[in-house]
Amino acid sequence: MRPRQDIVEIFSTFIQFDLDRFSNWASDPRLRRSMNQCLKESPQEIAENFWGIYWHKKWSKNPKGLAREHLIAYLQEVCFWSTNKTITGFTSSQYNVPDCFQVAITGIDKVLKGFDGDRGYHLKSYATITFSNLIRELLRQRQEIDICSEWSLLRKLSQKRLIESLQNAGLSPDTVAQYVLAWSSFKTLYVPNRQSSTRKLNKPDEFTWKAIANWYNQERITQLNPPGEAVSTTILEQWLLSCVKAARSYLYPNVTSINQPKPGYESGEIVDSLVGDVEESLLNQMIVEEEVEQRNQQQNQIGDVLIQAIAKLPADERKLLELYYAQKLKQAAIAKALNTKQYNISRQLTRVKKSLLKSLAIWTEETLHISLTSDVIKNTSTIIDEWLEHHYNPNP
Amino acid sequence: MSTLLNPNQLILEISAVTEQKAQNKSQKAATSYSEWQTYLNQLVLDTFVDYAQEEQSENVKKAQNMESIGELVNGTVLNVGNARIILIPSEADDLEELRVPQEWIDIPQLAGDYYLAVQINIDDRYLRVWGYTTHQQLKTDGNYSVSDRCYTLDGIDIIGDISALWVARELCPDEVTKAEITPLTEITSQQADNLIKRLGNKENLLPRLAVPFTIWAALLSNDAWRNDLIAQRCDKATFSVLKWLQAEASNIISEIGWRQVEFQPSTVGARGNNATATSKTALAKQLTIAGQSYELKLIPVEEDTYGFELRSLVLGGMIPAGFTLRLLTETREGFEGNEDTATTATESLYLEVALDAGEGLIWEIEPTPEDYQAQVLYF
Repeated sequence: MRPRQDIVEIFSTFIQFDLDRFSNWASDPRLRRSMNQCLKESPQEIAENFWGIYWHKKWSKNPKGLAREHLIAYLQEVCFWSTNKTITGFTSSQYNVPDCFQVAITGIDKVLKGFDGDRGYHLKSYATITFSNLIRELLRQRQEIDICSEWSLLRKLSQKRLIESLQNAGLSPDTVAQYVLAWSSFKTLYVPNRQSSTRKLNKPDEFTWKAIANWYNQERITQLNPPGEAVSTTILEQWLLSCVKAARSYLYPNVTSINQPKPGYESGEIVDSLVGDVEESLLNQMIVEEEVEQRNQQQNQIGDVLIQAIAKLPADERKLLELYYAQKLKQAAIAKALNTKQYNISRQLTRVKKSLLKSLAIWTEETLHISLTSDVIKNTSTIIDEWLEHHYNPNP
Repeated sequence: MSTLLNPNQLILEISAVTEQKAQNKSQKAATSYSEWQTYLNQLVLDTFVDYAQEEQSENVKKAQNMESIGELVNGTVLNVGNARIILIPSEADDLEELRVPQEWIDIPQLAGDYYLAVQINIDDRYLRVWGYTTHQQLKTDGNYSVSDRCYTLDGIDIIGDISALWVARELCPDEVTKAEITPLTEITSQQADNLIKRLGNKENLLPRLAVPFTIWAALLSNDAWRNDLIAQRCDKATFSVLKWLQAEASNIISEIGWRQVEFQPSTVGARGNNATATSKTALAKQLTIAGQSYELKLIPVEEDTYGFELRSLVLGGMIPAGFTLRLLTETREGFEGNEDTATTATESLYLEVALDAGEGLIWEIEPTPEDYQAQVLYF
């Protein structure tokens, strides 16, 4: 892949794939114009990561505006490399880069919501871990639905995922409501028994189907508007199998759409007049040398606190951080390297994270005079995620 | 189990012992629906409590009176220090949402400070604690779903780092976690009896959705009524003292920890005026309070008058100062002479009440005995 150099390009172009390889960078004219205008307005040269922070600030004021598109463009390489690294080692032919890239980049809001706009520094590092987690989670979920029977899969859906899948399949709101009620009737009356696998549930028997249909036909009167027709067990079975199909294709988005315009192109609702809406005050305030200075300084301080905290950890916990963040080993490999059981790794990582979080939270309260709440601690946690990723992988 | 992990999420193994215990516990459930729900609740509670006790310096305890709630509602509860943590088990394999039954939010007696999203993978025998939120956040950012009476929070809005919870407990234990809860309307014991009869029928598969929430909440907020409803659904006998004093009842009552004992009326001391030489039957329940063994006795004194007596089971043992034995009406109201407190260490605590046939009482002891279940005793 040819890396992008020019700042305008970095914030206004998108990866194009040719089959499952990188092909070229495609430029979005609106974003290009918007970025050019910003550069004109800015009093001095601004480092790339500060443009990231700037657009993140604008995004938090208007999550649906152009800022989001700029950030999607900005995070293309990070998403590409996270995808590549994460799926290495998965031999299945089902996992290809464009497909996982697409799923990861649509999870952009998780990156943007999680990143701490006030104290964050390396948006790219934060995006790297978030994308990696998203892809790992996607692969895990695919493995699970691949080995589940239809009837098991139905029990393993959240209501929200089911609704999204059905909407994604293009069903009308009334039909979605009917299917959801059919699904919840099924879940109420068809319960696994503990002796058998929850992944291998058989088709319900005749008696259970009747009970599900009775339940549905009774509930539809109060729960659905309009209540619709009473349904037979045959119809119910069809509906539920449609739910299964919709849920499967939700996790395997159509690969032909890869060659379609990327996110950023398709949002036709963003009118052109938005381009050029540079918020001067924010830009100036952002770019005043003082602010840059201050953030740099704070980032260094945070680094000092965390480096000290890491130095105080027992040797095996330091090793664990190294294996996880720098070498990106999988759980089983870490367990082997540290000669312990897999379950212990999760607990140990949580413990290490807790001790770093505690150190930085105390520092935040004492030095920055911010009083602690769950919310502040949550943000502090994302700062640590970001810092650890950057510390162990300085060049994303 | 999966080879992929996110260091912010906690993965806990379900042990064979815990699994077996959950199976045993759920066998008594009323329906296959509640059996499965009880099973999952129990797996999550025991596994998480074991973990928290190992990792947390604060005192971690299962909440009193709550272990059977899986018969009625999804979710389970523990106390960590002075915080109440609600665990919400889910079979869903995706992490799209946290779905909390309204009971855990809008009933003051049940509401918690923190809510943990717990995914269960039965086949691979592990739990994944993938995030948490507070009562306040659920109330402000959550959506209310009318069809299943749940508050839902999008996965993206959940605090995804579970260690943040422990650090918050340590560094800001007094933060405000709860939004205001509207007080519940009250119901009479007559209404409660009728509801328990009606909803106690297990043909009623989802009792929580069978009556308006305000009524359901009033019923559920009372420990004893809730336990009665559960007992009724699971075909467990409700506690009828007169019936249980009869010889043939000895099997039923032993199931819930009571037994019949013979006593000489004179042992009740000067209070037993009608003392005769013949022995009578009383009911006794062994209790563990703060690690020590005690016995609560229910003694028929005269017709319609009963004595409640608490003694140490240790030879020569005393009741420490500060212990209180208390009786409440079925609707949890106090009445004159309903408490006996040990101001100094004392041999026994004793209360005597006169009752009309059919009246109900709830007993309580402070400090609360282990495995205490509030239950209405009918006379």
